[in-house]
Formats: sequence, C-alpha cells, structure tokens
Amino acid sequence: MKTTIQEIDGKLVAVLDGQLDTAAAVEVEQQLQPLYENEDKDIVMDCEKLEYIASSGLRILLSILKRAKAHGHTVTLKGLNDDIKNVFKMTGFINLFQFED
Amino acid sequence: MKISLNKIRQRFTRRTWITLIIVMGALLLELISAAQYNYAKRILEDELEKKASIEITMKAILVKSMLNATEQVLNSHVAEITKLTEDTEDIDDAIFSILQANRYFIGMGMAFEPGYFGGRDALYEPWGFNSPDGVKFKENVASREGHDYTKLKFFTEPMRTGQPNWTDPYIDTVQNHSLVTTYSIPIIDRKGHRAGIAGIDLSLEWLSDSLNSRHMYPSSYCLLLTDNGELISQPSKSHPRHKDFDDAISLIKDSTARARVVPQSKFKVIEFVTDDGQDACVFFHHMKGRPHWLVAVVCYDKEVFGELSTMRLRTGLLMLLGFLLLGFIIYRFFKNNKRMEQNQREHDRIETELKIAKRIQTEMLPHDDINHNNVGVGAALLTARDVGGDIYDYFLRDDKLFFCIGDASGKGVASALIMSVTHSMFRSFGSRESHPARIMQKINQAVCHGNESSMFVTFFVGVLDLPTGRLHYCNAGHDTPLLIDGTVKALDVMSNIALGVDADWYYESQLVVLNPGSTLLLYTDGLTEAMDAKHRQYGLQRVKGTVARHITAPPQQLLDVLRADCEQFVDGAEQSDDLTMLAVSYTPAQEVTELERELKVTNDVKHVPEVNDFITDFCQDVKMDESLTTQMQLAVEEAVVNIMNYAYPEGEQGDIFIKASATAEHVKFVLTDHGAAFAPTDAPDVDTSLSAEDRQIGGLGIFLVRQLMDTINYERVDNRNVLTLTKKRN
Repeated sequence: MKTTIQEIDGKLVAVLDGQLDTAAAVEVEQQLQPLYENEDKDIVMDCEKLEYIASSGLRILLSILKRAKAHGHTVTLKGLNDDIKNVFKMTGFINLFQFED
Repeated sequence: MKISLNKIRQRFTRRTWITLIIVMGALLLELISAAQYNYAKRILEDELEKKASIEITMKAILVKSMLNATEQVLNSHVAEITKLTEDTEDIDDAIFSILQANRYFIGMGMAFEPGYFGGRDALYEPWGFNSPDGVKFKENVASREGHDYTKLKFFTEPMRTGQPNWTDPYIDTVQNHSLVTTYSIPIIDRKGHRAGIAGIDLSLEWLSDSLNSRHMYPSSYCLLLTDNGELISQPSKSHPRHKDFDDAISLIKDSTARARVVPQSKFKVIEFVTDDGQDACVFFHHMKGRPHWLVAVVCYDKEVFGELSTMRLRTGLLMLLGFLLLGFIIYRFFKNNKRMEQNQREHDRIETELKIAKRIQTEMLPHDDINHNNVGVGAALLTARDVGGDIYDYFLRDDKLFFCIGDASGKGVASALIMSVTHSMFRSFGSRESHPARIMQKINQAVCHGNESSMFVTFFVGVLDLPTGRLHYCNAGHDTPLLIDGTVKALDVMSNIALGVDADWYYESQLVVLNPGSTLLLYTDGLTEAMDAKHRQYGLQRVKGTVARHITAPPQQLLDVLRADCEQFVDGAEQSDDLTMLAVSYTPAQEVTELERELKVTNDVKHVPEVNDFITDFCQDVKMDESLTTQMQLAVEEAVVNIMNYAYPEGEQGDIFIKASATAEHVKFVLTDHGAAFAPTDAPDVDTSLSAEDRQIGGLGIFLVRQLMDTINYERVDNRNVLTLTKKRN
C-alpha cells in the first residue's frame, strides 16, 4: 500500500495505491497524518489506484472527514472503482463524502 | 292514518308512554278520591242537617217549655187575680206568693184600666220583684215619671185583643237593666169587663245561658230572635266567634238571602262566608205558636268537615307518595334496562374487537414453511370461542431457527394482551439475542414488570442451529415437548417457572443435538386437555400413540393427523381452550463438497494479507467472479479482524482457524477460535443514515459481513467460537 500527498491548486491531494486492508491501515494512518493536521485546505483523496478497502480503511477516511468538516472543509473521493463504491453504498458512507470520477 | 300513528309512536318514546300512563293513573285515582270525598261530605252534610234540626227543635222546646211554665203560673192564678179586682188589699200578698214560689221570675205586676178604681184616669200598677234579699213590693210603679203603661205593649195588646201576650225583649229599666220579656194576660172582672192586665217579667239572660250551655260543635252557637228579627238571646261576648253574630242575624233578617229548605223538614239554612274567610252555615226555624220567635244555630264547615279534609289531605299525600315511588321504581327499571342494554352492547363491541384483535394476532403468526433446506416447520392454532392466549412463532435469523410456543393463564382480554406482549418481545429480543435463556430472562423481566393482575405465561423457546442441528432451548413451565427420533419420547426439560411469576428467576438453557430426520413436537394443554362430551381428556398417551403411528410424517402432515384424531375424539363437543401445535423437523441437506481448504493464523492483524490471499485464491479456484471474490475477501477479513481484536485477552496469542469449502451451491467459511464466548451476530446494526458527525468510528466490521454474506451464524461448540459465513455461488 502506497500513499503520496501533494498540494495542487490549494487542495491537499492524497493518492491511495494498493489494498487498504486492516494490516495496511496502521501504516496508512501514519502516512496520512498531514491530512489529520490540516486546518485550511479542502482534501481530495485520489482512489483511482485503490484496489480494496476494509472497514479499518473506512474508519481512517471517516476520521479525516470529521476533522475537515470541523474546520469547514470538504473531502472529495476521486476515481473509486465499482466494488469499493458498493462498499460505500452498503455502509452509508456514500452520503458523507463528495465524489468525483 | 297509519303514517300519523307511526309518527306519534316515533315521537312518543317508551319513557313518555310510561310517564303518560302514570299521570293518567294518578288523575284517575285523584278523581276517585275526589268522588269519595264528595260522597263522604254529602253524608256528613246530611248528618249535619239532621243534627242541626234536632238541635233547633231541642232549643225551641227548651224556650217553649220555659215560656209555658211562665204561662202556666199566671194562667193558674186567673181566678185569684179576678178576685183581686174587687179586693185590692190582697194584691201584694198574691204577687208576693207567686214571686216567692218562682224565684226565676224577675218580677210580677198588674196594671189596671186608667180610673178603674175611681179617680179620673188614675193609673194603678202594683208590682213586685225578686231581689237577692227576698221579694220586694211596690204599691204603684205607675207614679214613676215616664212610665206610662197605657202606651206599652204588655198592657195595650192584651187589652186590645183579650189574648195573652209576650212582649218583645226590652231592657228592664226599673230594676237591674237586664233584658227581659213580659207575659201578660187580660184581667176580666166579674162583670166581664177588661179591668187590666197581669204580667210576669222573665229574664232572657237566663234563657241565653240555658240555650248556649251545650253545642254540637265547639264553635257553633244558638241565637234566639223575635219575629222582627230582634235579638233575644245570644251567647256571651266571650264566645270565640262573637264577631260573626251580627252577620248571622242580618242574614236571617235579609229576605233576599238565599235560604235553602232542609229536605224533610221546615228548617232553613243559609251558607255564608265569615269576615275571616271561614265557611259557615246558619240553620233557623220559627217556633210554633206564640211568641213567634226564631231559633237559629250556626255551624262552621271547618269543624263539620275538618276531619274529612284532613283525611283527604292525608290520602292525597299517601297516594302522591305511592305514585312517586311507583314512578321511581319504573324509572329505575327502565334505567337499569337501558344500562343493561348498554352493557350488553359494550360487551358485544369488546368481544367483536377482541375477536378482531385475536384474528390479527393469529394472522401475525407465521404460516408458511421455512425456506431453508435443513428444516421443516408445521404449525396449527385452533382458537376456542373465547379469546384465549395461545401463540406460537418461528423465524430464521442467521442460519438459526428461532421458535416458541406459549399459553397465557386464563382467558379473555388480559391473557390475550399479555400474550401479545410476550410475542412481540420474543420477536424483539430474538432479533438480537441467540441464547434462549437470555431471551426468556428478558421477556420474564418485562412480563413481571407491572404485572399487578398476577397473569403468567408458560413459554418454550428453542433456537436450532441449522448447520449443526444443535438445539438450545429454555422452558418456562410449559408442557414438555415430544422428541420424535425413531421413537416418541419426552424432551428432557427443566420445568423452571412460568413467565411473570418471579422477575429474578434465573432461566437456564439446555442443549440437545438433533439427529437428521428427527422432529420436535410442541403443543399447548389445549391438545392434551381437549374434552369430549363426557369430559374425558384426549390425554398425552393418545397424543403419543397417534404420533407413533405417523413417525415419519413431515411436520405439517403430522399436525393435520393429530388434529383430525383429536377432533374425532372430541366428537363435536365445544372447544374450551385454544389448541396450538408446532412441529420442527431437522432435515439437513446432504451436499457434496467440491473444494475444501484450511488456514490457521494467529491473532495478529499482520496476517490479514495472508488471509486475504487465501480467500481470493479459493474463490478464484471455484470460479467466482472478481467482484464476488472481493466481497468474500472483505467479509472474511472483517470477521477475522473481529476475532483478532476481541477473542483473546490483549497480548495473549491465540489461533484462528479458517475453513473454506464449496458445494455446488454455496461457498462457506467457518472461522473457529478458542477464545472467550462472543457472538458477533448479536451486535446491533449500524445506523447508516447518520451524518458524518454522528457516525461512530467502530462497529462497521460485522455490519459489513452481514451485508456481504447470505448468512452469518455463530455457535459456541465445545468451548470454541464457531462463526459460519455462507454465500450462494451465483
């Protein structure tokens, strides 16, 4: 599981690459720490290369969203594949985030 | 005509009719009473007239006899008096002796033709009188100034007519100013000339006392009048009705007054009203002969009819009371009737509603067979006429069959209600809880809470694990179910106690592993206690016998047979209690396993990718598509991570076994660990409708497993947690 964080057009863009299973979640949470600390920018999660996500991964996304919302910012998920989108639907997360293709 | 009659009928309610009848009845009785009163009054009037006639006659006789006595005295001395015209010397002796003999005479005297004894027009009137000191005599009272007897009637009348005469009453001015009358007779001398008169003065005061000494009625009194209507005698002024005297007298004197002649007599009567409003009547009659005086008797209606009026008033009051009482009784009767009708209507309404409620309750019970290969269910509920309190229920959750049967104590609303509560709680607790004793415990606490009417419910809860045939059950005082497994025998059950009795009762679960093909038969006492017309009970032995003859019958068929047999036994006798039966057959499908693999990992999340690879490979090997494969991977990962996090104490290493298998229809993942008992299936569902702020970070794992798999089933077997996840391959 690989993650990179860039600032593009005033937004924080995190790229998620690989399988975000429970084992990977611990590491990923640390890598995405800048997103937790962000107070002044909207966030984009680039999920085009995300192959799999477990509930531990969903928890990370929810934590980031909660903090961003507390500072008045949005979290946009970009390029989710259908299987993952299906998980978002099942859990009701589809109502929480903004999505981009 | 018909229409108008109907209209009248419609307008006159029954109550109006009753009121009318009572009023008419009261009027009729009042009329009878009035007629009776008038009749009695007539009798009393007749009686009064007779009494008054007798009274007047008696008074007249009394007066007459007194006057006669006076007349007699004078008449018996005529010869002696005649002699006195020649020898005036003896006049005083004669008068003296007469007065001496008749002390009630006021006085006696003689008056001679003026100049009879010589002397021109000389008047001579010797007179004596009775005084308290004896008889006094006066030689000639004519010498008194203003007393010219030649102008007075006691002298002139006999002199003129030659007949005796009674004067009208006058005040005796000579002696004691009392009311007197004088009887005088002419004196004929030996030559045949009228020499003068002899007269006796009689006190009328004395007469009055005699006349009013006794009366018919307390207030009635007697009056004596002259022919001209001048008062001769009346009661003393102390008489209570003395104010009416003048009225009575003037009425008698008034020729225009409406006097009625009393039938069969010559008496007359005048009815009048006194100044103070009293009805009164005066009876009067002229005495026969001379003097032509008039005797009158006055009576008051109040005294004559007083008793009658009182009587009538009392009768009227009694009658009124009677009618009021009668009316009240009739009113109460109709009111009670109305209330009874209302009660009946209310009762009918409640009964109808209860029947509806019961039908709804019955309809809420499941009727269809369970859609699962491993189990068959049959059920029957025959309701009695009264609303009873039987239920059964069954439902599938996670590869487990939850079922129950129950019977609430008594019949009617209360038992139906408490059963309804019990039923809904079975559904509610059964959706989260897989352990029968815990389900029972919670229902018991709820039923005990506020159970003031001491209702109780016998209840049996079973949870059949369909993959394994393990049946956990808990009994709360219900009839022991029968286990049909080649033979018919009673299931080994602890009786415990019925629900609603003891809130602190600790219910225990029991376990039996059902063999494939075995059936559990549950029933309420409506079956064993079904009675024929002779009150013989169907009984457990007959139940067992019937079941034994149909030992391989599928559940519904078994119940149909039992029902038919019971109905035949009862033979048309009315069913007194609900009859409920539930049969559960364990019929696991025999499936051929295509592929089976096992993996053992420790409780460390670093093994998750290993697990994921294992699952992905397995799914790909059984040709599942990519999307389904990902779902299986996710589901198993979530379940495994859950075990890793919770099964073993923190820091303690433990194993997790993952067995993946596939049949033609399903893939199945069985996760086993030796950790503490933990049923992830009992966790509440996540609320996916909440906002980001309200969403909890945890709790998603098992929720996802449930969403992704077709069934998720937990079973604690031999100190191991066994979690089975299954999914149809297509």
